Amino acid sequence: MNQHIIQTSNFSGKTHWDKAALASLVEAGRIHSRVYTDPDIFELELDRIFSNSWLFVGHQSEVPSPGDFQTRVLGRTSVIMVRGKDEIVRVLVNRCRHRGAQVCETETGNTKFFRCWYHGWVYDTNGDLAEQTGDEAYDDSMDRKAMGLTPVPRVENYRGFVFASFAPEGETLTEFLGGAAAIIDLMVDASPTGELYADGGSHKTEYRGNWKLVGMDGYHPLHLHASVMETIHRDPDSGIGSTHRSNPFDDTAATYTRDFGHGHSMLDFREHRIKHYEEHCEFIKKTSGGAEYIDAMHKTHGEERARMLLSISGDPHLGLFPNMQLIHNQIRIVTPLAADLTQVEMIAVRLGGVSDEINANRLRHHESFYGPAGAGSPDDTEIFERVQRGMQAELNPWLDVSRGMAREFTDVDGSTVGRISDEVPQRGIFRHWTKLMTQS
Amino acid sequence: MNSSMNKASLSDWQVLREVELFLFHEAELADGNQYEDWLELWTADLLYWVPSNDDNLDPQKKISIIYDRRAQLEDRIFRLCTKHAYAQRPQSRLTRLVSNIVLDDFDTESGGWVSSRFVVVELRNHVQTLWSGRMRHKLVREDGKLRINEKHVFLLNNDTPVGNMTFII
Repeated sequence: MNQHIIQTSNFSGKTHWDKAALASLVEAGRIHSRVYTDPDIFELELDRIFSNSWLFVGHQSEVPSPGDFQTRVLGRTSVIMVRGKDEIVRVLVNRCRHRGAQVCETETGNTKFFRCWYHGWVYDTNGDLAEQTGDEAYDDSMDRKAMGLTPVPRVENYRGFVFASFAPEGETLTEFLGGAAAIIDLMVDASPTGELYADGGSHKTEYRGNWKLVGMDGYHPLHLHASVMETIHRDPDSGIGSTHRSNPFDDTAATYTRDFGHGHSMLDFREHRIKHYEEHCEFIKKTSGGAEYIDAMHKTHGEERARMLLSISGDPHLGLFPNMQLIHNQIRIVTPLAADLTQVEMIAVRLGGVSDEINANRLRHHESFYGPAGAGSPDDTEIFERVQRGMQAELNPWLDVSRGMAREFTDVDGSTVGRISDEVPQRGIFRHWTKLMTQS
Repeated sequence: MNSSMNKASLSDWQVLREVELFLFHEAELADGNQYEDWLELWTADLLYWVPSNDDNLDPQKKISIIYDRRAQLEDRIFRLCTKHAYAQRPQSRLTRLVSNIVLDDFDTESGGWVSSRFVVVELRNHVQTLWSGRMRHKLVREDGKLRINEKHVFLLNNDTPVGNMTFII
C-alpha cells in the first residue's frame, strides 16, 4: 500500500513525461490510471500515436462518385476524404493554404470545389488550387501547383477501408494490419459479392471518458449488460440475441480473446457460433431472400467458409488500434477529443448482393443494442464515465488487467489467445501503447 | 401549416383540447419514468421512431436511434424495469414542455396526425442536458379513448454526437 502512495506522489503535478516515466505506467498485469486521466499524456498520444500510426479514415463507399466527400477528424487534424474528378480517393487536410481556415464545414456531400470564404481561394476536388482571388498581386515566385490542399502523406486502402498516416515513411498498411486483415474479411465476405457499403447512416455518441476505454472486453457482458441478457431470454430471435446464440460469454464456451499485436484484438466467436449454424440459418430463412443469401454464400465461398461466414453474420468483433472497430453490423470510429472526452461514430453497413429485407433486419438488430438509446451502448458509456470519475482517486492508482495471464497461449498464427473473459486485449493494447509512446 | 389551419376551425377547439391533455398526460408519464403506464398509452400495433442524422430518411435503408415495433418497445420497457439498466441508475430527472400542438389531419371520431414541439430538460449525475425537437403523433380512438399508434421524434440535434438517451423521449 505504501508503495502505491509513493508512486502516486511521483506522478502528481507531472508536466514532463520522459520515456522511463511513461514506461513505468504499464506493467505486465496492471496499468496506472494516469494513462487515462493525464492531459499531458493525452497530448503525447496525439503526437506519438495519432501522428504516426495508420488511422482509419472512412470506407470508399462513402464517396462513390467524383466530388463526393466526407470530413473526419484524425487526432488534431480535420481531413476531407474526397473522390477527385480523376476518381482517386484522397485524404486532404481541411485547411486553406493561405491563412488556415477550414475549407469544408459540411460533414458529407458532393461538390466541384472547396472554397475558402475568408479570401476566396478555391481548390478543386483533386485538392489543386484552382483559383486565387487577385492573383496578379503574387509574382511568379509562388508555385501555385504546390499550393493545393495538403494531402495526408500516405493513404492506402484495404478492401475498401481507407487508411491514412501522417508519417511520410514507415510500415506499410499490410504490415500494420497483420493478422487483423483476415478479420476485416469476415465483414466484407458476409456479402456474397464481396461488396460492403458504409451507407446505412450512423449513430454518433459521446462520453466523458478516455478514448482507450472503448474496446474489446469479453468479461463485462454478463455483468454490465445483465439487463440485455434478461431481455434476450424473452425472445432469442429478437435484437442482439439473434447473433448471440446460447451464452458466448461463459468461460467454458468456445469463445476467445485474441491479440494480433499492434494493439489489434478481437473477441473471437467463430468456433462458438458455427455450432449454432443450423439455428442461425433457420433464422435467416425467415427473412425474404434468406434462402437465396445462404445459397449465394455457398456458391461464392464454398461449403466450409460459407458456414463460418454465415455463422459469424458479418460481425468480426475486431478492435483495430487506435481508432477503428468492426462490431456487429457497424464500422466504429473512435475520436479522442480530450483525456476525458471521446466521440464514437457507429456507421451501419449494408451488404451487397443480399435482399433489402436482410439489410433492414441488420439495421434493426444494430439499433436494439447500439447508439444513444440502445440497450447496450448507453450502459457501456455509463460505466466508462464512472471509471473516469473513479480514476480521479489516486490513493491506489493501479488498474488490474491480469485476468487470464496464466492461461493465455500463443496460437499457430502468432496471435495471443485467452478465454473470452480474459484481459488479453487490454494487455495487447498497452504493450503496443508503450511501444509507440516510448519509441524514438 | 396553412392546410392544418384550414382544417382546424374554431369549432374544433374541444378535440384540440382533448389532444393537448392527452399529450400532456403522456409527457407526465415520460417525465416520471413511469414506463409501464406509458406503454399502456399505445395501441397493439405501433411504431416509435427516432431517426438518426436526418428527419427524412428511409428507415429500411438507414439506421435510426429508435425504430420500435410492439416487440421492441416491450423489450425496451422490460429492460428498463430490470434492476440492471445502469444508464438509468440513477434515473434521469426530467421536465418537458410540449407545445405548438397542431391537428394536421385529424378526425374527431377516429383520430389522426398531430404535430407538436417539445423541450426536455434532463438532470442526471449533476449534469443538465437540453433535448428538443419536433414530434408527430398518430393518435387513434379506441373505445372512446385516444391511444398512440405512431410517434415520430425529430431531435433538433439528431446529427450531432449525443450521450445517454435511455429515458423516454
